[in-house]
Amino acid sequence: MKNLFDVIIIGGGIIGTSTGHYLSQKGQRVLLLEKDFLTAGSTGRCITGVRQQFSTSSTIQTAMESARLFRSMKEEFGFDVEWKSSGYLFLAHSDEMVSVFKKNIAIQKPFGLDVNFLTAEECKKIVPLLNIDGLIGGAWCASDGQANPFLVVRGFVQGIKKNRGEIRIGEEVVGIEIHKGHVHSVTTSAGNTYLSSKVLNAAGPWAKEVAGLAGIHIPIEPERHEALVTEGVEYMGIPMLVDYRADGGYFVQRVTGQFIGCFTPEPNVPGRNVDSTFKFLVEMSRRMVKLVPALKNVAVLRQWAGSYSMTPDGIPIIGETEVKGFYCCAGMCGHGFMLGPAMGKFMAQYITENTWPVPMDECLYGRTYGEKEMMA
Amino acid sequence: MMPKHKNKKSKTDSRNENIIVCRCQDITLAEIEDAIDQGMTHPEEIKRFLHVGMGPCQGRTCGRLIARLIAKKTGKPIHELRQTKPRPPLISVPIKSILQEKDEESV
Repeated sequence: MKNLFDVIIIGGGIIGTSTGHYLSQKGQRVLLLEKDFLTAGSTGRCITGVRQQFSTSSTIQTAMESARLFRSMKEEFGFDVEWKSSGYLFLAHSDEMVSVFKKNIAIQKPFGLDVNFLTAEECKKIVPLLNIDGLIGGAWCASDGQANPFLVVRGFVQGIKKNRGEIRIGEEVVGIEIHKGHVHSVTTSAGNTYLSSKVLNAAGPWAKEVAGLAGIHIPIEPERHEALVTEGVEYMGIPMLVDYRADGGYFVQRVTGQFIGCFTPEPNVPGRNVDSTFKFLVEMSRRMVKLVPALKNVAVLRQWAGSYSMTPDGIPIIGETEVKGFYCCAGMCGHGFMLGPAMGKFMAQYITENTWPVPMDECLYGRTYGEKEMMA
Repeated sequence: MMPKHKNKKSKTDSRNENIIVCRCQDITLAEIEDAIDQGMTHPEEIKRFLHVGMGPCQGRTCGRLIARLIAKKTGKPIHELRQTKPRPPLISVPIKSILQEKDEESV
C-alpha cells in the first residue's frame, strides 16, 4: 500500500532526520512529516556547539557517540558539515563552580572523555584573548566541537531519500488515531491519512501538543533563547566559552570566522515566542566583550531567537509511551543538535529491536523527575 | 569566506557557475538552481542551506533574485512565496558602538 509505512516521524529537525536516516539504513520504510520546512524549528536556530561534558551517564555516552558520528560525517555524507574539534571551555569564577566542574569531570573521565580541569593560566594558553580577571580555572575538553546544523540535516535527508524514505514538507499532523491502545495512523493538514504501527514524536518545542493528539501528556515546555552572530574575522580557534555566572553567556568562533552565541535569560521566557530584543543585543555584546575584550571591534550581523524544549529535570524524554508504537524523542533542553545524531541512532535501534545500545535510564519516558543539574 | 556546499554536480548550464548571485557568501546561480532542483523551494530553506541573505547585505542584493528563480523553476507566483524574515540589526553594527549606545542611555 502506498500510504503504509514502517515508521512515521513527526518533525523535520535534527532528531527526526537523524532517526529517519538510521531507520532507513536498517531497511525501514520511513515517512517524515514536517509542517513548515526542514530545520524550521530549534535545529536551525542553534549556535552550532557540540559538547560531551554532561553530568549523567546516559547523556555523556549519547554525546560521546554523537561526537564520533559528527567526526565521520564528511566520509559518510560525501561532503563537509563544517565539523571542527574546537573544544569547550567551561569557566569557573567561584569555588562552588570549581567543585561542580571537578565533580562532573570525575563522572565523565571513566567513560574515556578527554576532559581536564585547567588553571586560569592554562586557560589563557588555549585562548590568549581571554580576560582571566577573577578566573580560577576551567573544564576543558578538546574533542568537543562545532558543526553546521543545516548541512548535517541535509546529510541525513540525503540518506533517507537514498533508501527510498519519503519526506513531506508543509504537512502538519492534525490527528493520531489509536486502535485498542496501539497507534494506527496519522492524519495531516493536507487531508492525507498515513498508516503505520510505529509513530515517532520528534516535534521539539511542539512535542507536548503532538503527544496530546495521542492522548499522552509529556512535560515539555518551550522557552525562548536569543542568539546573535557577528561578521567573520580571521579564524583564531576560539573554543565555545561557557560562563555560568548570572551575567555570563556562551559563544564560539565558527570555522567561518564568525562569533555566534547566546545566554540563558533570567528569569526564563516561557512560550514559543522567537522575537528578538534590543536588550539582548546590548547585553550579549557586553558579556562577550567582558570575556574577550578584542571583540569590541567586531560587528554584529544578525540576531534571532529559538526555543529550548525544557523538561522538569533538564534531561531529554525518550522511549515508548503507554500508547503502543507511539514513541517520543524530544525535550532536548537546548542540546538537540549536539545529541541529535546519536539520539537518532539509538532511537532507530530501540524502535526496531526494542533495546538501547547503552543504558538510557536517566532519559526514559515515564521516569520520576529529579532536580535539574548544572550540566545535565 | 563561507565554504561552498556543492553536494553534486549541477545539471544546469555551466555558464551559471560563473554568475555570482550572493556577493556576501560568494554563491553562484548554478548553486542556487541546484538547491532548488534538490527540492529546496522555500526561500528560508535556501537561505539556511547556502547562507544567502545572511551576510553583510542581509539579502538586499540576492533576496529578490532568488525569489524570482524559485518562482521561475516551480511555477509558483512570486507573491505567494514566503519572504525570508528580516533580522535586526538591519545593518551590521560594531560591538563598541552598541555598548557606547548603552553608556549614553544610562547617563
